[in-house]
Amino acid sequence: MARRTPRLRALVMASPPVLVAAAFIGLPVVSAVLFSFGYFGGFNSILAEIGQHEHLVTGTSGTLDAYRDVFGDSEFRQSLWATVLVTAASTAVVLVLSWGIALYLRLSGGRIGKMLAGLAVVPMFIPVVIASYAILEFYSPDGFLRSLAAAVGWSNAPVYGYTMVGVAFGQIWTNLPFGVLMMTSGLNAVPDALIEAARDAGASTARAVRSVLVPMAAVPTTIVATFTAIGVIGSFTVPYLIGPSAPNMLGPLMTYTFESFNQPQQAEVMAVVVFLLSAVIGAFYVRANLRGAKETKR
Amino acid sequence: MRRRTFLASALAAAPAAATLAGCGVFKSDNASSSANSGASASGSVAPAQVRVYVSGDVNVQNLWSKNLGPAFAKAYPGFSVKVLVEGNTSASTVLAKLGAAVKTNQDPGMDILDGSFTTAATGGLLAKVSTATVPNIANVDAALLTPVDYASVPYRGSAVVLAYNTKYVSTPPKTLDELLAWITANPGKFTYNSPNSGGSGGAFVATTLAKYVPAADQAKMVAGYVPNLEGDWNQGFATLKGLGSSIYQHVYPNGNQAVLDLLNAGSIYMAPVWSDMALAALADGGLPSTVKLTTITDPTFTGGAAYLGVPNNAANKAAALKLVNWVLEPAQQETIVNVLAGYPAIKTSLLSSAVQSRFTGLDTSNLRAGYSTEMSTDMNSLWQQKVA
Repeated sequence: MARRTPRLRALVMASPPVLVAAAFIGLPVVSAVLFSFGYFGGFNSILAEIGQHEHLVTGTSGTLDAYRDVFGDSEFRQSLWATVLVTAASTAVVLVLSWGIALYLRLSGGRIGKMLAGLAVVPMFIPVVIASYAILEFYSPDGFLRSLAAAVGWSNAPVYGYTMVGVAFGQIWTNLPFGVLMMTSGLNAVPDALIEAARDAGASTARAVRSVLVPMAAVPTTIVATFTAIGVIGSFTVPYLIGPSAPNMLGPLMTYTFESFNQPQQAEVMAVVVFLLSAVIGAFYVRANLRGAKETKR
Repeated sequence: MRRRTFLASALAAAPAAATLAGCGVFKSDNASSSANSGASASGSVAPAQVRVYVSGDVNVQNLWSKNLGPAFAKAYPGFSVKVLVEGNTSASTVLAKLGAAVKTNQDPGMDILDGSFTTAATGGLLAKVSTATVPNIANVDAALLTPVDYASVPYRGSAVVLAYNTKYVSTPPKTLDELLAWITANPGKFTYNSPNSGGSGGAFVATTLAKYVPAADQAKMVAGYVPNLEGDWNQGFATLKGLGSSIYQHVYPNGNQAVLDLLNAGSIYMAPVWSDMALAALADGGLPSTVKLTTITDPTFTGGAAYLGVPNNAANKAAALKLVNWVLEPAQQETIVNVLAGYPAIKTSLLSSAVQSRFTGLDTSNLRAGYSTEMSTDMNSLWQQKVA
């Protein structure tokens, strides 16, 4: 048997997953994007027969009418805005919280640090549906928070059930475990010697964190940020259960548009928008990964 | 399970379809003789097994799998019923499947479709019935058969009614206008679920819209898809939008059950609910006994029959029609009343007096039909844009 070059062998080894991804992810994506521009042949023909309010083309040039429909609807624009805001806010909070817990564990350790890190991982073991419903009840008008506030004399404490603030709470709750796990392992990987060297050179704790830990943990930080943002932007259960009727996040709106309103083309336009937003976020992850790979090589 | 059967039979039928392309009858002779012929193109289906696709909530699924199914097998030895349930699949997905199967002349994977698929019936996807094939339709209100072109059979009914808690409300509204006035007079004590998440909220929306729609237009919108008449809804949507500040927490819960829960907790005093769900909840303690049900008028809330349809190219058409006819017998209708608290589809005078007495105060015969599937879909979409 002829000796294959390593490059070819790597290609052969990588091809099954690539083919699976192309067939089950790539093809549907291409088909959905085509449908959003009005091409209704092939995979889309049955869908096109069922849907309502479609803008289909027979020639070769696509149409932007479905995009006009979607962007012309003020509810979509509000929902898009709400989605971006919730994503940005919950990603920022998850980053701050997971960094805080991981940092405390790294620098002080001890029982409190371990307990914090352990508690923060608990949401991972509770199904999202149950957690969402619990969060909704907790912040409802007759929920725990309001009851407690009323007991100490605050009669009109805010209600977060069915609000976007409640949705952001839910997103933080579901995404925190991953952030904490990732950041604790990321900060633990920084050798003690580096921190001690900085201290010996006269750096304060804050300076040691800023100049040693932050740059050394840049890759896990980017991973936490991108994974959280992509998870939140495409989420359905949390906004569906906790969020208001409208404007809510795009996940529920897409589902309504596809199933309840029977407008598959408009739903796919929204999917394309979410896809583009996720692709931008994903680019940061890929860049961090490449940088990480380069560092290990060196 | 169903998908596998469907796939297997589709694979089995594929070569046959290729050679017989253009020959439209290759399946229909098989369907008519399916009760005793096992040599059909779709070999994976036992000849006497009727596959019933159930689209309702858990209560309807249980009715079929625990009551009607076993009873049919007992009444007709050699026949069996297989209940197919597919989670949250929406009506349009089932329609898509059915449409594709009929279009390509392959086994649709179901012999009976339970639900309300007017467009499938009038679109020629479902088989037409007559007193020759289903003799018991003689006892069914003909007004329920005309909208579906005799291509499905109503087998139970339910209507949306107004539930109110007598602890807080002594005299319930009698008309829609009185109800709307009550809502604004008692802010925060009423809600309805978003129309896309359940029929009870949908009926409230459709009824409020219908108040302003001319009768002739209303009839067209019930019968078919006329998007150019949607302008008639503007006034109704404006009214609903105006109610927004009086709705409990300014939020429209997702699903019929969520509204019942709020009513049970005493958070709201009044709400539109499905008659069958509310009667069942009252029976098992899901609602306090102080909750009463009433019907409003001018216009009444929509209600309707759930239909059984037999796909045109169902593999076991004959057995399916036998089952449909059997379900319309008084004994099975009483089962439906007892188990589901549903309205009977046949004349109530054919049922025992004990069963008849359960419906005192509720009008079971005069159900006002809702909008057609496509019109309702557009209504839900417009509601989301204009009211939510």
